[in-house]
Amino acid sequence: MIAALARPGTSALHRTPAAPKLLGLAVAATALFFVDHHGLLAAAFVAALAVARSTGASFAAIGRDLRGPAVVLAVLGLADWVMVDRATAVTVVLRLGAIALLAHAVTVTTSTAELGEVLERLFRPAERLGLLDATRAALTVTLAIRFVPLIVEEARAIREAQAARGLEGSIVALVVPLMVRVIVRSEALADAIDARGFPPEHAVSSTNERR
Amino acid sequence: MSDTSPERAGGADGADRDALAQTIVFSGVSVVRDGRTALDRLSIGFEETRIGIVGLNGSGKSTLLKCIIGLVKPTAGTITVDGRDAVGEARAVRRSTGFLFQDPDNQIVMPLVGEDLAFGLKNHGFSKAEIGARVDAALTRLAIGHLADRRIHELSGGEKQLVALAGVLALTPKTVLFDEPTAHLDLKNRNRLRDVLHAMPEQAIVVSHDLDLLADFPRVVLIEAGRIVHDGPAAETLARHREASR
Repeated sequence: MIAALARPGTSALHRTPAAPKLLGLAVAATALFFVDHHGLLAAAFVAALAVARSTGASFAAIGRDLRGPAVVLAVLGLADWVMVDRATAVTVVLRLGAIALLAHAVTVTTSTAELGEVLERLFRPAERLGLLDATRAALTVTLAIRFVPLIVEEARAIREAQAARGLEGSIVALVVPLMVRVIVRSEALADAIDARGFPPEHAVSSTNERR
Repeated sequence: MSDTSPERAGGADGADRDALAQTIVFSGVSVVRDGRTALDRLSIGFEETRIGIVGLNGSGKSTLLKCIIGLVKPTAGTITVDGRDAVGEARAVRRSTGFLFQDPDNQIVMPLVGEDLAFGLKNHGFSKAEIGARVDAALTRLAIGHLADRRIHELSGGEKQLVALAGVLALTPKTVLFDEPTAHLDLKNRNRLRDVLHAMPEQAIVVSHDLDLLADFPRVVLIEAGRIVHDGPAAETLARHREASR
């Protein structure tokens, strides 16, 4: 899902600001947890699919982006079927499937910059309580989105290198060099972020004012 | 806006090379990290528009470059950029001095090209309209406008390096510091970056093992163990570096 990211477009959701979309997603996801009726859940699933399609994404693109969550959902559904019953499995799959589709629609129509701005506003009350720095916390989420594909690529490269050395089954041989690379990269990244003028001037001013 | 506003603090637009060059002065600068001396009582000034820095791995080249924008703080001595202290006035110095890192993946912060170019501009307080105009201008300048909506992880190494450079140039700095800019590039992209570098009106200080890149620079400095061992025209310094590296 994270790898999906925003795609340019002109749909109604593209034109909607990030905050109402995220609020709508939260409300819809919460509401779906109060629905158990299979007919209603199936209708919600179809509606969510329509919302996802309204962004301009093809069925193939949606399928590609949601391949990971779909696998997890299949495993969950199977586990529920085996350990609980078929009705529960159907409920879980339809409910989580609908939420995943709605989340996809929000993700592909919301730029990371917009998302960062909304998160910064959401974190602001916690900042006033001295719990965190809203600007840095929002950047952390952005960095996570940016670097997940890169870390996945690095893990793949390490796995190939270790396989060439006959260590394809070793978790340690994968995790240790990956952690080292991530730490080294994070140090370089911290330098780059400083060099690019972070934190923003408004954040520096507000921090100084609080002091 | 105050004196530190983006428009007054920087600005390469339309100016010629000589007017852009900043005067960078190292005065008795030492950097000791983890018991190892990276720079050793270095005193040197830079005011030319093209300056190359060469030396073996671990000689202190990158440390020198990072000192200029206060990313590395000296253990002793001072660095000034057009009279501003690189540590105490780092924000203003970074506004007029861009830095291109060796690995663009360590420099690019946002997942989409256009968003990443906007990142530095936003940090420096530009308005949304100005950010949009500058992003477009920087992409157009490097002929990569078609990448504006692309995802970073889908770009080639050369494209990423150009995006990282566009992010630097969007701020219209007076000086760009290049830390081994061609290290991750294939021949085609290396040539492309060289063309961009040669055409830039901004002052450029380039750390590189790619000696061809520096071949026509008027000044190249050779560093060994944190000290300047030669300082002169490219042909002279590079010949000495080649000789010393045998």
